[in-house]
Amino acid sequence: MSVLPDDYEMVIGLEVHTHLKTDSKLFSPAPVRYGEDPNHSVHPIDLALPDVLPVLNERVVELAIRLGLAIHATVNEQSIFARKNYFYPDLPKGYQISQFEEPVVSEGWLDIEVEPEAADGGGKKKKGAAPELLRKRIGITRAHIEEDAGKSIHDVAIAGSEDSCIDLNRAGVPLLEIVSEPDLRSPQEASAYLRALRSILRYIGVSDADMEKGQFRCDANVSIREKGAEFGTRTEIKNLNSFTHVEDAIEAEAIRQLELIEDGGEVVQATMGYDPERRRTHVQRLKENADDYRYFPDPDLIPLRIAQERIESVRAALPELPEEKRSRFESEYALSSYDAGVLTASRNLADFFEETAKRCGAPKAAANWITRDVLRELKERECELEALALTPAMLGALIALVEAGRLTQKSAAQLFPDLVADGGDPEAMMLERGLEAVSDAGAIEGFVDDVIAANPEVAQQVRDGDDKPLNFLMGQVMKASQGKAEPGQVRKALAEKIRG
Amino acid sequence: MSKIGPEDVAYVARLARLTFSDEEAKAMARNLEQILDHVESLDALDTDGVEPTAHGFELATPMRPDTPAEPFDPALAVSNAPAAQGTAFLVPKVLEEE
Amino acid sequence: MGQAEDLLAKGLAEQRAALDGGEVSPGALVDASLARIAAKANLSAVVSARADAARAEAEAAAERIASGEARSALDGIPILLKDNIVQAGEPATCASRILENFVSPYDATATERLREAGAIVVGRTNMDEFAMGSSTENTIHGEAHNPWDPSRACGGSSGGSAAAVAAGLVPVSLGSDTGGSIRQPAGFCGVVGLKPTYGRVSRWGLVAFASSLDQIGPFGRSVADCAATLEVIAGHDPRDSTSVPEDVPRWTDALDGEVGGLTIGLPEEYFVEEGVDVGVLARVREAIAAFEEAGAKTVPVSLPHTEHAIATYYVIATAEASSNLARFDGVRYGRRAERPEDLQDLYLRSRSEGFGDEVKRRILLGTYVLSAGYYDAYYGKAQRVRTLIRRDFERAFERCDLILTPTMPETAFRLGEKSDDPLSMYLSDVYTTSVNLAGLPGLSMPCGLSDGMPVGLQLIGKSLDEATILRAGDAFERLIDHHALRPPEAS
Repeated sequence: MSVLPDDYEMVIGLEVHTHLKTDSKLFSPAPVRYGEDPNHSVHPIDLALPDVLPVLNERVVELAIRLGLAIHATVNEQSIFARKNYFYPDLPKGYQISQFEEPVVSEGWLDIEVEPEAADGGGKKKKGAAPELLRKRIGITRAHIEEDAGKSIHDVAIAGSEDSCIDLNRAGVPLLEIVSEPDLRSPQEASAYLRALRSILRYIGVSDADMEKGQFRCDANVSIREKGAEFGTRTEIKNLNSFTHVEDAIEAEAIRQLELIEDGGEVVQATMGYDPERRRTHVQRLKENADDYRYFPDPDLIPLRIAQERIESVRAALPELPEEKRSRFESEYALSSYDAGVLTASRNLADFFEETAKRCGAPKAAANWITRDVLRELKERECELEALALTPAMLGALIALVEAGRLTQKSAAQLFPDLVADGGDPEAMMLERGLEAVSDAGAIEGFVDDVIAANPEVAQQVRDGDDKPLNFLMGQVMKASQGKAEPGQVRKALAEKIRG
Repeated sequence: MSKIGPEDVAYVARLARLTFSDEEAKAMARNLEQILDHVESLDALDTDGVEPTAHGFELATPMRPDTPAEPFDPALAVSNAPAAQGTAFLVPKVLEEE
Repeated sequence: MGQAEDLLAKGLAEQRAALDGGEVSPGALVDASLARIAAKANLSAVVSARADAARAEAEAAAERIASGEARSALDGIPILLKDNIVQAGEPATCASRILENFVSPYDATATERLREAGAIVVGRTNMDEFAMGSSTENTIHGEAHNPWDPSRACGGSSGGSAAAVAAGLVPVSLGSDTGGSIRQPAGFCGVVGLKPTYGRVSRWGLVAFASSLDQIGPFGRSVADCAATLEVIAGHDPRDSTSVPEDVPRWTDALDGEVGGLTIGLPEEYFVEEGVDVGVLARVREAIAAFEEAGAKTVPVSLPHTEHAIATYYVIATAEASSNLARFDGVRYGRRAERPEDLQDLYLRSRSEGFGDEVKRRILLGTYVLSAGYYDAYYGKAQRVRTLIRRDFERAFERCDLILTPTMPETAFRLGEKSDDPLSMYLSDVYTTSVNLAGLPGLSMPCGLSDGMPVGLQLIGKSLDEATILRAGDAFERLIDHHALRPPEAS
């Protein structure tokens, strides 16, 4: 259920700032490094010494083209770097080099998937397995290249209560600002969009998009309206740095706007801050005295011209995108749409799956293991795939043993946690622990005879045509074999022995 | 005729982070008005369909390879600073709303 | 000492020969230059001298020269830099209070190339604050004086560099030209000044005034000396995105004294009686006659948008300057107001106390023309008119090889004469600013005297064709040796 009355809806547009994956800065050769001491990763260009000049990093252009292609956008043959003029201590030149009227990328889109209620503004989870998802296309107005600012650090312990420290290590780090159309209608859609965008950015190697490192930041433009009415007045919530904050802040802001309207008041254009502890938004600055940034083309830089051949060569080298991979997984490996979606959520996971499937030759089983067991481990351990000792080679070998009938599902599940924690050779572990499946017909018959002899009444029920107790007898045989008997053979032997 | 008053001077002075006494602001307003009157002679020119010129020379976009250089010596970075703490510049407290 | 001092007043070729022949040492030349700088302190041409380091460099130059390894025409020669072209370990005040204590951590590209060529920087020259002005009166170092008449301005903004060469402190110096700031003072001081094609000399290390117009160039007492200096400082620089990726020709080799076959364009808009000093027009017409007599052809050409050049220039230059000068905020370097109450107070007072009136005026104007609602009417319009001005030149150059004009409509004005009338000061740049707007090379050279003051002749070339104006200018020197005239005190 939406937090708004049924006849209302939210209108949300997102501006994402994402750090580009480069070794050096946008206009200076200073290295891009995180966690350095103040001003230890700067060049005179980043300090804005009186006489310095910017030179564009080639890699940034390559990455911008990649993003443009990945979001089905136009990569413009000409774009212009403009100066956005304002004073702030972390902005050393007194202007930010950005793109204004002519951005490098314009008019793209990406598809998101949301649960049906979420599309309506609700967020209630449906019980049961694979949920039905609705696909929705979100427009992307533009993406432009710009430089990040430095940091002002107000830390009493360092600077005393009256001063702030200025650190320009981050100044000049290349960013893409990606601006969506106001196509999003719920906090859940907003976070689905952000996840989809982040996934693409990582897939194509444009950005690590690590929110904790401030590499992926989001501003949300939010308004509410009666369904079908004109857009309402919007406010902009600045600097949201986690998916939870994005969802919560949008919801809090929509409620704030609704209360204002219900009280007979009016929403005014403003920049909002979000306080995650109180889960509330507050007005930071009214926009009535709109900032006068005096944009003009940067005379130190020549307009950026990108030849069509350049775009085509980037296109040719572009890795497979999530949506393409997903439909290939569905057709090539006969996976369900849901499983394919889960497995292609990140490039690492998709690669892990494909390698595992190749090793064991059983894609469906590999998909089951990964979506169920591997993801559960990641969730429990709160870690990334790379942090596990388990490799696709190990998982592939494990599944192959099961497929070959040498290891039961149950024994495999016993080995799995150790492979996750410490790794190892599944076959050697199986042999060492005596877990190899018993598939020798004589041995299995022995177990079966013993169980039938011990449970004559149950056997009789089966003989009389009742199949239900068969499972009980199966369980007894498995128990007797310590889980090592190959279940298919057991079932067959039981049926033969009882019914002749 | 452009009409530049002290309030216009005050507005742009604020954007440019400059302050003027009333007298100075009046004098600046007179100068600006005089210069802008001259600039308005451009209005007589028909520039429809004329491309703007941004530079004295038309070039292809120069770019540099993404190769990081050694960072600048942090001690030199703050060597001209009016106030520094270690290798950070020091300014009066920065408020969020500024 | 006497020999070195005599030599200092001569050209680069004579100095080169004397150094290579062992008749004089670089140290003696440097000492003579430093002595002359001290003796002429009343001109306020030089704002800081570099004695110890210069002498040490002279020792090294002496060794190279003695072992026959002189690096260039400038090896061992003393030279001065305008105070907006940085040098490692040296101040770069730009004649502004806001930078009075700034020390550059590195060399400008032009400085680096001069030093690699063996030239010895002996000091830095006075200028209008941040190169904004035409008189070298807007400076914290005290107004500079014209060596021909100390009651008159030496022009600006590179006034100190022009006066220093005119007064024989050094054979060559560097300046910067945004709207005439090399050519106008060269004209006022009776020396040669060259503004190269935009992008010819790297702007890395030049404190920016108006980025799309600024260009570094040399002053000298002859065209050949300017050509030799330009050969050293010109050339592509990957640190400047607007640097032209073209090879540097051997301009000095092209100076053959020939003008036969050259077609010289005379823009009718520049040769109007109104507002032009009679003596200036007379001298320039004599120059035209001399060129014609030597075999050059002259043709009338038209630059119909000339009257709009000043307005266009002031919109573009001040808009860019308002943004370029935002970095002077008292945070990372430069002057900071005492005991600021808060951050805004720090900005307001540091900048208001640090900048002079002319700089503030231009920042205000530039901020105004870019402010909300005015961009299209002013900046957008000016960029389009800039295109029209550029096309005027392209059309004119279909009919001629170079264009000849007076550098200024007048000779050097009296100090203080125009300081209360900014517009009139701006309007006198009418012949020089359109050259910057079109990005073309322009040379100003001595063309005789009017009432005892030098007249400047301007030669404008096609884009990247410095060769033709240098060749024509050098030939003109051979026809009439106006360039040999020296100010009374310097001779």
